[in-house]
Amino acid sequence: MTATAGQQGSGAATARDTGARLTRAEPLNAVLHWSQELLDAEGARVDAMRTPGPLAAMPVALKDNIVTVEQPTTCASRILEGYVSPYNATVVERLRGAGAMIAAKTNLDEFAMGSSTEHSAFGRVKHPLDPARVPGGSSGGSAALVAAGVVPAALGSETGGSVRQPASFCGVLGVKPSYGRVSRYGLVAFGSSLDCVSVFGRTVGDASRVLSTISGPDPLDATTVDRPPMGVPKALPDLRGLTVGLPAEYFPADLDGGVAAALRRTAEQIRRLGGEVREVSLPNSKYAVPTYYIIAPAEAAANLARYDGVRYGRRKVGRDGDIRTLYRTTRGEGFGDEVRRRILVGTYVLSAGYYDAYYRKAQRVRALIAEDFRRVFEAGVDLLLTPTTPTPAFKAGEKTEDPVSMYLADVFVCSMSLAGLPALSLPVGRSEGLPVGAQLVAPYFQEERMLAAAGVLERHLDAAAEVR
Amino acid sequence: MGERVSIGLDEVLHVAKLAELAVREDELRRLVDQMNRIVDYVASLDEVPDDPLAQPFIAGPISVALREDVEAPVWLARPPAALAPEFAHGFFLVPRQAAMEDQ
Repeated sequence: MTATAGQQGSGAATARDTGARLTRAEPLNAVLHWSQELLDAEGARVDAMRTPGPLAAMPVALKDNIVTVEQPTTCASRILEGYVSPYNATVVERLRGAGAMIAAKTNLDEFAMGSSTEHSAFGRVKHPLDPARVPGGSSGGSAALVAAGVVPAALGSETGGSVRQPASFCGVLGVKPSYGRVSRYGLVAFGSSLDCVSVFGRTVGDASRVLSTISGPDPLDATTVDRPPMGVPKALPDLRGLTVGLPAEYFPADLDGGVAAALRRTAEQIRRLGGEVREVSLPNSKYAVPTYYIIAPAEAAANLARYDGVRYGRRKVGRDGDIRTLYRTTRGEGFGDEVRRRILVGTYVLSAGYYDAYYRKAQRVRALIAEDFRRVFEAGVDLLLTPTTPTPAFKAGEKTEDPVSMYLADVFVCSMSLAGLPALSLPVGRSEGLPVGAQLVAPYFQEERMLAAAGVLERHLDAAAEVR
Repeated sequence: MGERVSIGLDEVLHVAKLAELAVREDELRRLVDQMNRIVDYVASLDEVPDDPLAQPFIAGPISVALREDVEAPVWLARPPAALAPEFAHGFFLVPRQAAMEDQ
């Protein structure tokens, strides 16, 4: 039995079924907080709604960096162990208002920093198809739960690919909206010029309905753009009239053979469905990862300054009772290795004498990366097609010793985050049994068109088929 | 970035102090190596020619419409008094942390 979406008037039954699936999925370590009691309360609340709403009785899991009043929010960090928010995130209020049931809070790389969900203070998440492998990250718990059929949809967050990359590894749909499309009120801040609440779905339809529900301006988040919420895309019969660009820089000679084959098959299918495919160039995308690893740690160092042992969560008092010792000991012991590394790098690149050389330079290169996308879309390209990841899911422990090799797992997804563009990962086949994702990228605020095209491909590509 | 001097032990300790982060003696050498590896990697942006006229990137739309600066209630799931064991006259009462003002 797998999760289904939107069974009207069936909140109580859905709560029981979802609880049973969550129990069976425990070996994945994908969940940090859930209880049958809270699920039953969600079911009863939905059953009592006068108008069921577009997501009636749909169980949705939340990455544990989205705040909720009913469960703790830990960001998978010891420093926030036991923290309970006094308010719900706007996305949580919108999901519940549409009839969705909050099913669980999911495991992640600590403070969303990582690409494998190995950097969780509460243990790594296992890939649903091969427990020796990682589900990707940082939203690996949400991806694994959707892939295992526990919930039809889940929320994650993206700073530099943290939904698309695990979606690709786990074989589910992962969609990052345009920067400013979805409220971040109640999303724990990591990189404020990059962060986006994003969506996983078993199908394009489920993900679209969830994204449509949570999108739109929010008076509590001044960075949301004053445009109407995204509509649910209409089903298209084919891809006639669509021009799809293949950026040469995203198809390097050393791309994994299975990934390359799956992308070739996808491009051929686009042509068969009436779309035009043409090669394009995004020359500055090769700088996306280094640019990201200056900007994101710099913003993280500032955002994570608030966890000082006084205002939130855990506190470690030093022996001499000095306030600075309290800050340093709490933070030194409360944060894990990767978070501490990024805080140090972020502080270094922002420090006197280095700011211009690193941060200002990175902001300028970021503008060049965004300009490449603008130029290609202005030349008549509607969507871009790239691999989501250079390889299928890698083995646990393979990249933990070398931080840079872990960062390169996001080589194809960082640039869209830097440019603030919408993008998604769609499962398009398997390589040696492991899912392969193709990425579609759209101009700013054109999620509907991107999802409509993904819906056509979803119908015409067998994502479970082995490709060579 | 130009002639980058590699990051040494003292620099890591200095940055850790700025970041209010305690680091253990036994992890220092590894942190120095990892920071050098990361900073060497991001220094590849040196290849991009400097354009003094280039504008830095601003996320989001060209002009973000700011909302009216009107004070409005923030809805909490629980009243403030329910969030702290001790609450009086609109203030949280917390244990004394340090002798900042007395020094």
